[in-house]
Amino acid sequence: MTDPILAADRLSKHYTLGGQKITVLNEVSLAVAKGEFVVITGNSGSGKTTLLSLLSGLDLPSSGRIAIAGCDITGLTEDQLAPLRNSLTGFVFQAFHLIPSLNALENVMFPAELKKDPEARAKAERLLDRVGLLPRRHNFPEQLSGGEQQRVAICRALINGPEIVFADEPTGNLDSRNSDGIIRLLLDLHDDQRTTLVMATHSQSLAARADRVIRLNDGRITDADRGEQ
Amino acid sequence: MNLRFLFREMVHSRGQAVIFILCVALSLVSIVAINSFRRDVRSVIVSDARSLHGGDVIVQAHADFSPALQGELAEVEKGQGVTALTTWEFYSVARRGDGGAALFSNIKAVDQGYPLYGRVELLSGREFIDVLAPGRAIVAAALLERLNLAVGDRLLLGNTSLEITDVVSRESSRPVDFFNFGPRIFVSTADLASLDLVGKGSRVNHQVLLKLTGESRPDQVAARLQARAATGQEQVTTSTNTGSRVKRFFDNLLFFLSLISVFTLLLAGIGMQSSLAALLRRKVKSFAILRSLGATGWFLLRHYLVLVLLLGAVGCGLGIVAGLLLKQSFSGLLAGLLPENIVLGASLADVVEGMGLGLVVVVFFTFLPLRGIEEVKPATIFRKEGGAGRSRTTTRLLVVGGLLLLFGLVVRQLEDVWTGLYFMAGILALVSLVTVLVGGLLRLLGRANYQALALRQAVRSLLRPGNASRAIVVTLAAALAVLLAIYLVEQNLRATYIDSYPADAPTLFCLDIQTDQKQGFVELAGGAVELFPVVRARLQAINDSRINREAELQRRGDSLAREFSLTYRDSLLDDELLVAGEALFGRPDRPGTLPPVSLLDTVVGMGDIKLGDILDFNIQGVPLRAEVTSIRSHTRSMLYPYFYFVFPEKILRAAPQTFFAALKVAKEEVAQLENRIVARYPNISPVNVGESAVELGRLMEKLAVMITFFASFSILAGGLILVSSILATRMARMEEAVYYKILGAGSAFVLRVFLLENLLLALLSGGAAVLVAELGSWALCHFLLDIRYDPYGLASLALLAMTIGLVVLLGLLSSVTIIRKKPGRFLREQL
Amino acid sequence: MYEGGGKMVKTFWLITLILGLALAGCDRDLPQEKPGQGGKGAMKTIVAVGDSLTAGLGVAGEESYPAQLEKKLQADGYGYRVVNAGVSAETSSGTLSRLEWVLTLRPDIVILETGANDGLRGIDPQVAENNIREILKILGDRQVVVVLAGMKMVRNLGAVYVGRFNGMYPRLAEESGAIFMPFFLDGVAMQAGLNQADGIHPNVAGYKKVIDNLYPYVLEAIKRKEGK
Repeated sequence: MTDPILAADRLSKHYTLGGQKITVLNEVSLAVAKGEFVVITGNSGSGKTTLLSLLSGLDLPSSGRIAIAGCDITGLTEDQLAPLRNSLTGFVFQAFHLIPSLNALENVMFPAELKKDPEARAKAERLLDRVGLLPRRHNFPEQLSGGEQQRVAICRALINGPEIVFADEPTGNLDSRNSDGIIRLLLDLHDDQRTTLVMATHSQSLAARADRVIRLNDGRITDADRGEQ
Repeated sequence: MNLRFLFREMVHSRGQAVIFILCVALSLVSIVAINSFRRDVRSVIVSDARSLHGGDVIVQAHADFSPALQGELAEVEKGQGVTALTTWEFYSVARRGDGGAALFSNIKAVDQGYPLYGRVELLSGREFIDVLAPGRAIVAAALLERLNLAVGDRLLLGNTSLEITDVVSRESSRPVDFFNFGPRIFVSTADLASLDLVGKGSRVNHQVLLKLTGESRPDQVAARLQARAATGQEQVTTSTNTGSRVKRFFDNLLFFLSLISVFTLLLAGIGMQSSLAALLRRKVKSFAILRSLGATGWFLLRHYLVLVLLLGAVGCGLGIVAGLLLKQSFSGLLAGLLPENIVLGASLADVVEGMGLGLVVVVFFTFLPLRGIEEVKPATIFRKEGGAGRSRTTTRLLVVGGLLLLFGLVVRQLEDVWTGLYFMAGILALVSLVTVLVGGLLRLLGRANYQALALRQAVRSLLRPGNASRAIVVTLAAALAVLLAIYLVEQNLRATYIDSYPADAPTLFCLDIQTDQKQGFVELAGGAVELFPVVRARLQAINDSRINREAELQRRGDSLAREFSLTYRDSLLDDELLVAGEALFGRPDRPGTLPPVSLLDTVVGMGDIKLGDILDFNIQGVPLRAEVTSIRSHTRSMLYPYFYFVFPEKILRAAPQTFFAALKVAKEEVAQLENRIVARYPNISPVNVGESAVELGRLMEKLAVMITFFASFSILAGGLILVSSILATRMARMEEAVYYKILGAGSAFVLRVFLLENLLLALLSGGAAVLVAELGSWALCHFLLDIRYDPYGLASLALLAMTIGLVVLLGLLSSVTIIRKKPGRFLREQL
Repeated sequence: MYEGGGKMVKTFWLITLILGLALAGCDRDLPQEKPGQGGKGAMKTIVAVGDSLTAGLGVAGEESYPAQLEKKLQADGYGYRVVNAGVSAETSSGTLSRLEWVLTLRPDIVILETGANDGLRGIDPQVAENNIREILKILGDRQVVVVLAGMKMVRNLGAVYVGRFNGMYPRLAEESGAIFMPFFLDGVAMQAGLNQADGIHPNVAGYKKVIDNLYPYVLEAIKRKEGK
């Protein structure tokens, strides 16, 4: 693979809990090509979420290196990471994590406003329209259903046109009908804009559509295969 | 009862638990200290009253007792454990042994064994009982000074000559006597015959003092004697039913301190409530889970009730111990003011009372948040829901019940139902006022359009649905308002009574200076003399309705029925300002022909007098009708001379008048000057107020220290509320910070949002507090204390700055960790 | 026990009042006088000049001796009004200094009762004597008939002082030719039943007795006035 957009080299993550060292990730290496759709799968506790938060720079690895678009992020400070998170990556969480004090529109606009994008409002409205939530743009998160919240979260992840979108069990909190909608939305976006998509999920149906599936077991990659296979 | 559950819950929220305990302790500290102190003071006042009045039962008359009373007294004295002692007190003229200078003096002739209670301290340090003997006199220092005598010299009194053997330094029966006409001379009753001053045609105060150590009770003995006493001529009192200045003083002091400590209690209560509410808010999720597992609301409530009572009991214990320790420090704070024989101890009553009080307070301030537990629905797991009250009526009933309980407590502490009512109404008014004010400000804040993202973000998170910022701001503002108000009132009291007091207060007043003595007097006094003409007169009618003499005399304090001192001058004094009317005596083209008169605001309040009212005076037999043309207020200390009624000079110039002089004389020269004045103008009566002024100033200083000391507990309570409210919102803030970071915000942005949010919070609370406190203190000073009000703008600014500094600092401290922390970690820990 | 701070303040006021203005808490009420009225031109004026004993401290206005005297005179058909010009706590110096003011009432007769407060304050009797002498001289110059009420000082001030004090009144009366009532409180002073609890100021019954004693001297003054 030439010029991966995301590369991880022997990532490990340990926690100390009650004096006991627990290894969540053990020497995980992987590379993701631009425009690729990678699914990380595995049992609960296999380290999916940890891997995703390391890859996206939300957490620091105990050892190993990560590069996004050729830039090593492991040594970066939080402030150096900020513009990267703002424009280069987007994140969709299982628990949505919308800012409770902002309404749907403001949540979506927020990253664009952070980088002082004068088009912030227009872009956000366009995105919300696309996910069918324009009429509800003034609702606050707690006034939205789970599926709606997740759609807002996806819009928010996309507003600055990121290179990579990380999604951590984006349908984990949703029923199957809503799940289907969210998956369709994510895949549409991936297809439209060739956005790289790295997703942790249990869903076999999603895994089936991925370019590649990485299987984690006890913090190690046991199997990495092409989705088509 | 699941003890493990209880223990887990307690450990899990130890931060809030510690604050809760501290709040409970704080709510009790000052109140326990004061109540215990009050008990001690009251018990000592009984014994103090004895030394003040000199006996358990006091029988007095202006002459020899009637035979009936004498007979009864003789009977009483036969009783077991009864000691009786006779004193005669009167004025006379004492002369130097060489027949030279004479001085009007106060003579007290006492039996061997005097005093029965209390002490007469002598300069030599010897015991009074050992020194006073027939042929000897013990005198006040002032007498020696005025007659230029020394111990060992002889003193002519009545028909005999006595040897001055010692000097009185302190008398417990005359603790703070400001205005004694003549210095004290103690003589022995054995000398009365040779003095030949007491007898038919004498004006004396004759007392028999009884000390009862046996079975007989003072009130019974007094009743027996009273039955035989000639009504109106012979008085029988006991030391307990005689009004004592000392008792009144302490009653007032303790009342004021009680007021402050009830404030502290309420603040601490609010702290309890907010720390508990914060604790419970964090637990809502786990309550919902427990309920979904089948736990009843009562199960949760029960456990939390026990938890709260447990923490409450720990707090009570802490509070009581601290309170009793605190009380010990009073002896230092009030040194010289406390009765000497007071024992500051701790009694079982203190502990029991403190416990009871504490539990009542805990129950009152925690039942509302606790009730919230019952109403948590399992569905809360899935989504945040507004906790609509299940049974509003029961809640309301509980609130009313709680308020009644609290009211009972307040009444009990303040010892008066009406005062308690006023206090509660005041607090309610305060809270509603602050709530309305803060609500309005928040709404305004929400409406505005913000360009800056960080500012908008700060406002948004302040106003976010479900955020407790309104409650926090209201609590904080109310607490700060009370604190500031205490400070402001104290400062104003201080300014009125202390600061302006010794510095520019005159040290010597001279009464009765005659017109033809003015010139000579000013020369004698050496320049810096202020002379005020005094014209005695009586107010007969206001707008033709006669002053109701009986009603006026019923009035406490000043009365319109008394004789007033009018004065005349054509301009305002330096310390006066007009509060109504265009000029002191109205416009020159004022209609009507009546002479004008200017009134002081205090007298206006006494008679509901307005501008334009017609007053009828009787100036020593000569009627005068005048129209009110202005109302003045005076700004200087109360001890600076002031006049209720001021006329133009031409109206009263011919009226009989004397002059009243206020002089500033160095302390050590006062006595000499008094002598010079009296020697040249024997009719002038000098009153040495310098001494009293210093004494009074010192007293006020001590009181101020005491009050500041107590107010500092309220400040502590306010601090706890602040910390608790910041802890309460910490989670929400951290969450938001993490989201900002995930979305690519730098630490500068996160910091800016926090800073602005805290700043807004502080500005709202501080601003509302300043507004309410200024308003409240002004009202208090103006309507209740009747003193001039200075807003002390700097203090308000300082409070605002301090609030901002503290809130911002604490807020940032509590969120600074999140700025460096990796967001992934927070997400993992919190989910 | 309410009024915590307030009470303290009120105490201060009281102190100030006493300090600043040395006012006796005087309870008397002067009979209301309207100038020009009550005379119909024919009414003559007696002015009762004095201290609290004249003012009537502790008794209602209409029980004070001038009011009672007026009633008695008018009942007996004398066309006289009696103005109460008593000032509580006044010494003879005060009386002297306000004499001109009192004379604006144009009295025909003055009943002068002063000096007691000089004595009770232990002021040198010579001061009182000089003052009263001056007062008598001014009144005499104005052709006012004077009834001088004598005073006797309490014994506890000592024989020397009491002797000097008591001696001045007959001397002054003789010098001035004023009608002399030897002792204003004759038969009243030191009589328990006739005084208020303070032992100094007569009660209503006491004032009745004072009037009884005083009345003949007043009649004599009227006779002297009318005789002129």
